[in-house]
Amino acid sequence: MRQSRIIQLAGLGFTIAYAAFIVWIYATEPRTFKEVTTSAEVAAGTYEIDQEKFNSGLNFFRREQFRAARVEWQQADPAQRDARTQFYIAYSFYREGWGRLYFDQELFKQGVEAVNRAIALSSAGTLTIDDPDLHMHTAAELKAELEQGLERNWSDVNPLKVLRTRK
Amino acid sequence: MPATNRSRNRALLDFVVLPFIFLTVALLGGLRIGAENGTFIFIAPPVVTLLLATLLMLLLIRGGLLRLHDWVSSDFPPLTNVAHIWMFITMFFASAQAFNSVLPERGLLHWLFSFFFLWTLWNNQFSSFDARRLLRSLTVLFGTAFVLKHMLLASLYSPEGGWLKRVAGTLLQGIALGTLDVPTFAAVTGYIAFFTLALYVAGLTLLAFAVNGETTVISEPMAHNHQQLSAAEPLAVREAILDDSRD
Repeated sequence: MRQSRIIQLAGLGFTIAYAAFIVWIYATEPRTFKEVTTSAEVAAGTYEIDQEKFNSGLNFFRREQFRAARVEWQQADPAQRDARTQFYIAYSFYREGWGRLYFDQELFKQGVEAVNRAIALSSAGTLTIDDPDLHMHTAAELKAELEQGLERNWSDVNPLKVLRTRK
Repeated sequence: MPATNRSRNRALLDFVVLPFIFLTVALLGGLRIGAENGTFIFIAPPVVTLLLATLLMLLLIRGGLLRLHDWVSSDFPPLTNVAHIWMFITMFFASAQAFNSVLPERGLLHWLFSFFFLWTLWNNQFSSFDARRLLRSLTVLFGTAFVLKHMLLASLYSPEGGWLKRVAGTLLQGIALGTLDVPTFAAVTGYIAFFTLALYVAGLTLLAFAVNGETTVISEPMAHNHQQLSAAEPLAVREAILDDSRD
């Protein structure tokens, strides 16, 4: 009788945990086994970005090779859970999309998405990046600049716009 | 000692093995593998599969495969009742996902298959079934749907051009086959669906054995006691049973 009770309890515990895993799998929809392990790390709170890839992306970014930088950063943060990496990704969209005559709307839109992710992930509320190579150090500044670039108004036809500088 | 082993095995089956089997079916029933890059695609059960699962659960109760009153009762300890209800829940989702694995994902064929499943299950609600017949009927139902979806349709819509596509192309020259909008998946999806359905039927078969075992446990001592009666006593027992049934 006692053994049956132990089996009942153990069975319930084990199968409820298994059911929770199934619900989690269907909610996160991982596409590969690698994504399953990454999502598990995120859920367990042990997720860390690949620092080597991040630094490599930073080097590309400083050499103005923005697409290559983004590829490295996406590999460094496959789960898109690191606020700093997402901030740099957004910044790379800004710099690549910035033009003296016009802004690339598609790149700016992707930049807004990335900076929104960065803001959502920053636990302190205000995300600040201390990087002397950047002209904007907070996610809020970057977001405002990207959103401004997406707006259409009469100042777009101002010829003096060609004198503006990229941040 | 055999009675202890029996109760231990029964507990293992009811509280560990069966929920584990049904949950595995629930996990794999919505899993497809992308044809282009081999990535996982998880498809949550559509609402219609929940309806089909409800009808199937009713059928399982009617067929005697699920005996609710023997499994959940105010006489049992609360933990036993909770564990049994949990097993029914896992079975419900396994049923929904078993349907999900054999239903085309979208388009006209999805609704055609759903309609035929609904029709069959609804008709079966009014037929007389016992557990064994019901199991056979369900095996045939899922087997047919599997052959239709994962062999015939997969072959017809295969990007490489399956055998059926070549046959149909020869027979139906000039008639378009692309109007039914069937997504294509990697061939391994068919293997996963086969394993899922086999596991589901195996779970139901184990459940049927458990139910039959329960009947044997009750009937065996009764038969033994009956054999011990003297020549006149069986008649008296028979009379008493008939009296009870008249009351």
